[in-house]
Amino acid sequence: MASAEPNSGAAAGLLPAADTLIAMYKKMFLIKHCDEQMRATLRAGKIAAPYYSPRGQEVISSAIAVNLRQGDYVITIYRGLHDHLATGVPPRELWAEYAGRVTGSCKGKGGPMHITHPASGVVVTTGIVGSGMPIANGLAWASLIDKTGQVTITNFGDGAANIGAFHESLNLASLWKLPVVFVCQNNEYAEHTRFDGGTAIDSIAKRAAAYTMPGVRVNGNDPGEMWRAAAVAIERARSGEGPTLIEAMTYRFHGHNFGDPAEYIPKEELADRMAKDPVPALRVSLLRAGHATEADLVAIEKEVTDTIADAVEFALASPWPDPKVEMGRDVYAMEIQP
Amino acid sequence: MNAALTPETPMITGAQATLMALEEAMALDPRVIVFGEDVADPEGGGILKATKGLSSKFGSDRVKSTPISEQAILGAAVGLAIAGKRPVAEIMLMNFTTVAMDQIVNHAAKIRFMSGGQTGVPLTIRTMTGAGTGNGGQHSDMLEAWFAHVPGMKVVVPSNPADQKGLLLSCILDDDPCLFVETTMLMRTKGPAPPPGYRVPLGKAAIVRPGSDVTLIGYGRPMFDVVAVADKLRDEGISVEAIDLRTIVPMDEETVLGSVAKTGRAVVVHEAVKRFGVGAEISSRIHETLFDKLKAPVQRVGAKYTPVPFSRPLEQAFLWSANDIEAAIRRTLRA
Amino acid sequence: MTTEILLPQLGFGVDECVLQEWLVQDGAEVTAGQPLFSVETGKAVQEIEAPASGRLSILRASEQTYPIGTVVGLLK
Repeated sequence: MASAEPNSGAAAGLLPAADTLIAMYKKMFLIKHCDEQMRATLRAGKIAAPYYSPRGQEVISSAIAVNLRQGDYVITIYRGLHDHLATGVPPRELWAEYAGRVTGSCKGKGGPMHITHPASGVVVTTGIVGSGMPIANGLAWASLIDKTGQVTITNFGDGAANIGAFHESLNLASLWKLPVVFVCQNNEYAEHTRFDGGTAIDSIAKRAAAYTMPGVRVNGNDPGEMWRAAAVAIERARSGEGPTLIEAMTYRFHGHNFGDPAEYIPKEELADRMAKDPVPALRVSLLRAGHATEADLVAIEKEVTDTIADAVEFALASPWPDPKVEMGRDVYAMEIQP
Repeated sequence: MNAALTPETPMITGAQATLMALEEAMALDPRVIVFGEDVADPEGGGILKATKGLSSKFGSDRVKSTPISEQAILGAAVGLAIAGKRPVAEIMLMNFTTVAMDQIVNHAAKIRFMSGGQTGVPLTIRTMTGAGTGNGGQHSDMLEAWFAHVPGMKVVVPSNPADQKGLLLSCILDDDPCLFVETTMLMRTKGPAPPPGYRVPLGKAAIVRPGSDVTLIGYGRPMFDVVAVADKLRDEGISVEAIDLRTIVPMDEETVLGSVAKTGRAVVVHEAVKRFGVGAEISSRIHETLFDKLKAPVQRVGAKYTPVPFSRPLEQAFLWSANDIEAAIRRTLRA
Repeated sequence: MTTEILLPQLGFGVDECVLQEWLVQDGAEVTAGQPLFSVETGKAVQEIEAPASGRLSILRASEQTYPIGTVVGLLK
């Protein structure tokens, strides 16, 4: 999975610092552990919700998140738990939203596919494939008008690169030099269809040329490579040079959605990819490079497991929204009789 | 429509009314952004000049012509609105809203609710439509019922330039996503100009002719015939109360139901296809709440259940007529 | 053979336009294709050619608005 040419201005060999890698590991472990707990909780029937596991895709979100500033916008999709946690959505509010409780980020009114937490930058999560990109352009345009230097990240899958809105959005972003980074998380499957079964071109990144913007294909599971691609694209957007399309190659371990037996995925392929799980791989690499000790990592992991345990308990103990109160609220700015 | 016209009354077209509202809104509120296909001055300032002069006056940061990309246009409006701007996006013709339905129905209308009130989408979509000039099946549909059926949207249909100006200004300054429907023929039709600063509140109908025998509820271009029929029947001793709804959602139920409670008879008129139209909703509401007071079933006047035909005699047969309105009123009086 | 000169529909949603100026005098001989009159639609001014040859008989004055399809003159 070779990466494409580095972006202009990139220092070849630019690597994340040790503390950046540790910060990334913490986010990645948080996502991995949260995913495991979510699937266990769903399987136990304690929560009933549509769930699209991001397990295997942790590096992408974490590498982007450590390059963002307060105020940057992140848009993601229903397979967004990794983007949510990496960007800073509090686990308690996330779990409570999954559980449909009034303490959820959206008072239970949106659910997992619409997690929203403006303070951390997650302004839109969408359940419609490809629909985040047009919205990203609007957020970016506002930043341009106000000259804030804010950057907008919009995450989507390989399948979404075949939606009309992808093409409309890349064209407009390029035409107006909008500060957007289009992040295609290519996990090789669009719902149940293999990438090469649904896409005529062999690399989404090549499509960037059609819209006159840089397109880079990277190993989205390699922390250094993903971090560098994110850093370059975000800096490019922030400095007013315009958008970038990043095709981050990755893999998903648990099918399309919770409950999908994923019979369309060859068993040997899945076993091979799971053996290359990027989360334990980074752990090994941190120790080997001397960036962290075993004790450091155990402490990080304990903090994560405690955080998630607390979040699950909080969610399941939280009250449900009262229909008499919540149904009439937020349909419009003023309350109505629904 | 109530003010007496004199030779000195300044008259403006619907397109000029839209321009007046946009100019005022942009001067009043720096968050207002105007965009759409061909709207900027290098492209002519709009196909009917409804945005003429805006890009020159307010700059290309705030007024932009876009590519032909309805999903990108409305998605950008959603994003701008979430970021705190007041976008006014033009979808040139209402039939083209179908190309961007995802951004309207799945996003603009729902984001406030789905986010639990954390984010809102105070955008305005201006779109033009209407039959009568031979534009055919894909350039003439009145689709306001579709959007009225999506909780979260506001839907506004002016019938004259003063209201067009006053309502558009209110839409732009409203905190909710508003669909503002401009009627093609009304864009060139003149009416009394409103004074500067004129605003018409959303959700408030206008009683344009008070009456006591039958309530005639309409909106948009049919209002000319509504008023003409009301005036004609008054000379026969039939007192028609004519109401211009102006806003479909939120609907001014108080005025509508208050009137029918008084008259006991109602006719609803709209340009859109009659079957499954807004008239069906109004008729149902009246029957549900005022059944004991009704002297006759509610009548509806609307277009035939066909695509808009091209050929002039077919197109005229498709649309409502003053005779249809009068006949409907008489049916309520015979019952 | 008399040919009617009709006001054309130029542009979207137009049901009337301004007959701005007759480019030929009443009673003059006209060749088919020759610019005959100009119309203004609110977008632009355009010249309309004579649909046939003949002697022009003007039926409608200039600088007025008429519905499209109005017979504004004859060519005899």
